[in-house]
Amino acid sequence: MKITRSLAALAAAGSAVALAACGTPSGGSGGNGGDADGDATSIVWDMWAGSESDIAALEEQLAIAQEENPDLDISLQHAPWNDYFTKLTTNLASGNVACVTSMNGQRLSGYHEAFLPLGEEELEIAGIDPADFTDGAMDIMSYDGTLYGVPYDVAAMLLYYNKDHFAEAGVDEPQAGWTFDDFDATLEGLGADGTAFGMGMGEFQWMSLPIARAGVQPVDESGALDLTNPAFVEASQWYASIAADGYGSIPPSASDTGWGEQEYQAGNVAMAVDGTWNAVSYLNNEAGFEAGMVDLPSADGERLGLVLGSGYGISADCEDPEAALQVLGSLVGEAAQDQIASSGRSYPARVDSQPLYFESLDEGVRDDVQAAFEAVFTGLEGQRSTDDWAQVNEAIQPDLVTVYTGQSTISDVLEQTQQQFGE
Amino acid sequence: MTATSAPEAPLRQRSRSRLRRIESRQALGFISPALVGLTVFTIAPVFLSIVMSLYDWPAWGTRSFVGLGNYVDLFTSHPDFWPALRNSAIFTLGFVPLNLAVSLSLALLLAPRIKGRAAFRVLFFIPVVTPMVANVLVWKMLLQPNGLFNGISTSWFGIELPSFLNHPQWAMVMVIVMSVWQGMGYNMLIFCAALEQLPEPVLEAARIDGAKGWRMFTKITLPLLSPAIFFTTVMTMITSMQVFAQPQLLTGGGPGNATLPIVMFIYDQAFTFQKMGLAAAAAWILFAIIIGLTALQFSAQKRWVHYEV
Repeated sequence: MKITRSLAALAAAGSAVALAACGTPSGGSGGNGGDADGDATSIVWDMWAGSESDIAALEEQLAIAQEENPDLDISLQHAPWNDYFTKLTTNLASGNVACVTSMNGQRLSGYHEAFLPLGEEELEIAGIDPADFTDGAMDIMSYDGTLYGVPYDVAAMLLYYNKDHFAEAGVDEPQAGWTFDDFDATLEGLGADGTAFGMGMGEFQWMSLPIARAGVQPVDESGALDLTNPAFVEASQWYASIAADGYGSIPPSASDTGWGEQEYQAGNVAMAVDGTWNAVSYLNNEAGFEAGMVDLPSADGERLGLVLGSGYGISADCEDPEAALQVLGSLVGEAAQDQIASSGRSYPARVDSQPLYFESLDEGVRDDVQAAFEAVFTGLEGQRSTDDWAQVNEAIQPDLVTVYTGQSTISDVLEQTQQQFGE
Repeated sequence: MTATSAPEAPLRQRSRSRLRRIESRQALGFISPALVGLTVFTIAPVFLSIVMSLYDWPAWGTRSFVGLGNYVDLFTSHPDFWPALRNSAIFTLGFVPLNLAVSLSLALLLAPRIKGRAAFRVLFFIPVVTPMVANVLVWKMLLQPNGLFNGISTSWFGIELPSFLNHPQWAMVMVIVMSVWQGMGYNMLIFCAALEQLPEPVLEAARIDGAKGWRMFTKITLPLLSPAIFFTTVMTMITSMQVFAQPQLLTGGGPGNATLPIVMFIYDQAFTFQKMGLAAAAAWILFAIIIGLTALQFSAQKRWVHYEV
């Protein structure tokens, strides 16, 4: 009896120690704001960062926010991009989410319940005027008509091309406002030896061209999954035909989830679709080719592009949302946005900071990039998504290889995925 | 003497039982870290996973009790569960015999006292100790269409090899081949050790009776090796039912679901699709299959495993 009791006590003590160890955030104290004993309220900011330079850039933004909020104690907590969402899920499960949590717009649908909806009152506390941000930027951090965060960057999908490949093949470089007929002609000019275009595996790397061509999103206006929309299916078939006709470089394995971009980066293909976030790394590519960029082609004079990006939200169970909102206001404030822009790390959401991004680029490429960005950031539409949108994409991805190699058709894949995930 | 010894006995008994109590308390103190570890990291998660498998359990958010719903769902309506079971079965059927044959052959080749035997053993064991990620990266470079194999084949013989990793049948073949290459060293070491322990009198008696070559191998060596073969079969089968890293890294489970094994299915359900309940149910099904197959092997061993007494 005694033994069992002391055993139970020991076990309880042991597990308490173990659980407490698990729950402590790596970067600072307590995840939930309100620090009753300390003088200053502590706010944790959770963000993804992959490298030392990423972390250094975040520390600079943290310093800006700290300076603007001297009465708060702000600490940074970070994880690499791939682990960030796993860690966030774990934190959510244990009710230990940082007050200011970063979120990627494309993944917001699966996590929106974890965030505090932001109304006019909240934005006022944070000192944020949506009019200061790029058109449609607020759509990035909105789900089902409700705003859950404020974007710090905006992005869109571009078509990157290898100027050296084009010169070698004697094909004209694509111009802003080009059409899908021009695109087909360009493919033909480049030749069907599998080096004209890098087939995409990532969500937007493959889906952007079909969306642009069809003029519809694979989620309808009511928010229901609509992968079998005839226009979208038709456009996807056209996309798959790039591989079938021999123009596309086909991923050798379903584990090559960044195939098209990697092949482009390595200088192996003439064109690939990727986000504006990689513009700088392509311009400075190690393979040493001259990179160019242009907006996606249009169909019948119209081009449907989606505005993408990431932002910061306040966790729904933050104990001191007002303090967190102030930190949020600083992190997307002018000083922090200027810092993001002038570092060239991403294209800021705040309009006034955007010119600094171009100034950070080499003079030789500045005009090209500015022209491409100005073309691509017009007439964008917010991405619609379902609660399980991330899963839908994970389910499609391994099947894309079978489509590109001709073992199955894109219409079958879309049909099956629609059946699995559609209401 | 009798006057003093009478009350002494209960005293000694009492003190002994007191000593025992103190000792058992001390023992408890010593084993408690292990007990706590066992409870926190093994017993509690196992119990939790049983509970989990009976719930619709998202990674976070509201959970609801579904009884055996997850199990029914897996067997009747999930599009990837049966293919995943099939893939694990194909992998096991391909990998276990091939692995045993290769590692036994290597052990037999290295058994005679040849020169550089130890060096060969180390060479064959290197893939076992190298991190799987590094192994897979090397194999990917070999197998890609612009990789070494296809490069040699096209430039020397003018033959274009299939794109191994995105071909539904070749992908599985290559996962098996790569796994055999990676895992053969371990079983080879076990066989090497067993071969060195073979009882010399038995071998000598067989030789005097005129046994040699193939007959010696099949009638004497193999039966004497049967305990080692049994052990490696059981262990290799268990690890092959749990295969994960090779397909995850080499083929991503694809093309489609052609190389998606059951453990990767469980991983995907839990950490990609955040369906913890479904994943827990699939894990228990895998556990039942492994236990069942192992029990089957243990009951079958009477027929073919010969222990030297």
